[in-house]
Amino acid sequence: MEPVAAARPDGIRGSSLPGPFPVGAYARKLQAELRKRARLQLVGEVFNVRRSRTKMYFELRDSDGAVPCSMWCNDFDKAGLVDGAFVDGAQIVAAGGPDYYPGSAASSPSFSFAVTALRIAGEGDLLAQIERLRRRLAAEGLLEVQRALHRPLLPHTIGVVTGEGGKARDDVLAGLARRGWQGRVVWAFAPVQDRHAAPRIARALQDLAATGEIQVIVVARGGGSLADLMAFCDETLCRTVALLPVPVISSVGHHTDHTLIDDVAAIACSTPTHAAEAAVPLHCGDARVAVRADAVRLATHGRRAVVERARTLERMARAPAEHVARHRRRLHQWLRELRAAAARGQGHRRQDVARAAVVLSRKAVAGAGADAAGQRAHVAALGSALTAHDPDRIVQRGYAVVDDGAGAVITSAADARRAQRVRLFFADASVGAAIDGDPAPRGQA
Amino acid sequence: MTDEITTPPTLTGVPVPAPPASYEEATARLEAIIRRLDSGDAGLRETLELCAEGRTLVEYCAAELDAVGQGLQELRLDELVARLEAGTS
Repeated sequence: MEPVAAARPDGIRGSSLPGPFPVGAYARKLQAELRKRARLQLVGEVFNVRRSRTKMYFELRDSDGAVPCSMWCNDFDKAGLVDGAFVDGAQIVAAGGPDYYPGSAASSPSFSFAVTALRIAGEGDLLAQIERLRRRLAAEGLLEVQRALHRPLLPHTIGVVTGEGGKARDDVLAGLARRGWQGRVVWAFAPVQDRHAAPRIARALQDLAATGEIQVIVVARGGGSLADLMAFCDETLCRTVALLPVPVISSVGHHTDHTLIDDVAAIACSTPTHAAEAAVPLHCGDARVAVRADAVRLATHGRRAVVERARTLERMARAPAEHVARHRRRLHQWLRELRAAAARGQGHRRQDVARAAVVLSRKAVAGAGADAAGQRAHVAALGSALTAHDPDRIVQRGYAVVDDGAGAVITSAADARRAQRVRLFFADASVGAAIDGDPAPRGQA
Repeated sequence: MTDEITTPPTLTGVPVPAPPASYEEATARLEAIIRRLDSGDAGLRETLELCAEGRTLVEYCAAELDAVGQGLQELRLDELVARLEAGTS
């Protein structure tokens, strides 16, 4: 039927096509045409499942192409699927036919394959495929290789593989800023979904590693469905990551997403910010403070050691003089002690002698009797007198002893005149002498 | 004739230790040195040698931190490759 042309504008200058017709009418016609097409069953894999209040929306895909699908929630619920079975990658059979929602002035139109019934196909589940691949890589030891790589505490060049326009790029920069790190970032932009992504990401990784300047690589992309993230389950890409000589830190999807790259990378992080922080485990500001503190402690130890060494040397320099002084003092001390001892010894001897003399004299006195002293003196006096009177002694001195011839000593002149005749005894002999009566010559009596 | 790099002996006759291979190696050795010095068990000679080695390590660490403290440098992979091929980097 021909659409009714209300107020028609002019067509495009030079176009030979019929119209312009009002679009709404055309949309309705499209809908009708599509609804005429045969109802049939399709087989493919489910992706991007969304549910509104009344309808389920998802895509049905295989390697050649896909159709967007819609299904009334009531119909979906009637299918009685097991919880968790209708997820990305699930292979299903869907019955229905193409439909077109014409939209309106206030709502968008859409083409969809309207599904009236479906069932899970079971075999060929994408997730199961991924799991099988994971087990194969694990058996080859490829899940451990990257983890064993040395990750520098303070890299100076970091490589980042990410989509050029994405938020992941900003998040990586934010993470590096949080570490206070201002080194060198090498960006390797690559598509992060669709069928070009896997080989381009693998190539970027190899090129980064080949420069020899990159110390750690971050692979980052934001959230998405498993379909969007499928590139990161690609076998070739995962093998490339596993065997890369540079450690790779992955942050693909949200924290609930898990792709194969997370298993082969050195570290898997939940966000690009965390991945950047994992790339620089050190907080540079804190590290600078710590290094300065270490420098101070070393300087303190060094100063103390130098001072102590100086003191030791000084002590050693003083030691000989002190040593000699000590010895000298000791010698003086000994000398004094010797002298004192000697003096004490002499005194003792004198005392001893005096004591002995006293003892002896006492003993002598005791032996001699009471008035021994007096008697001795008397005897001594007598002795002296006797000696004085000894005529021999007189004669020896040149005197003569005068005798009367009868043995009586004449001692006076009178006695001599009386005697008339005397004898004179000299030292050598005696002579007789007669006394004459002449008076003594002057001067003599 | 071999082209050997020999480390010159110091005044104490002890060879200078090789430069650290990495920042973490340097900090680990620095911690060990400070632990030893703090213990008080090191004699005078050892203390002075450890202080000298420690100073070298501090300088290394400070230099490494300075290298990542001068402002973020960003470049694309193809620019880096071009620089490397041109002999500058």
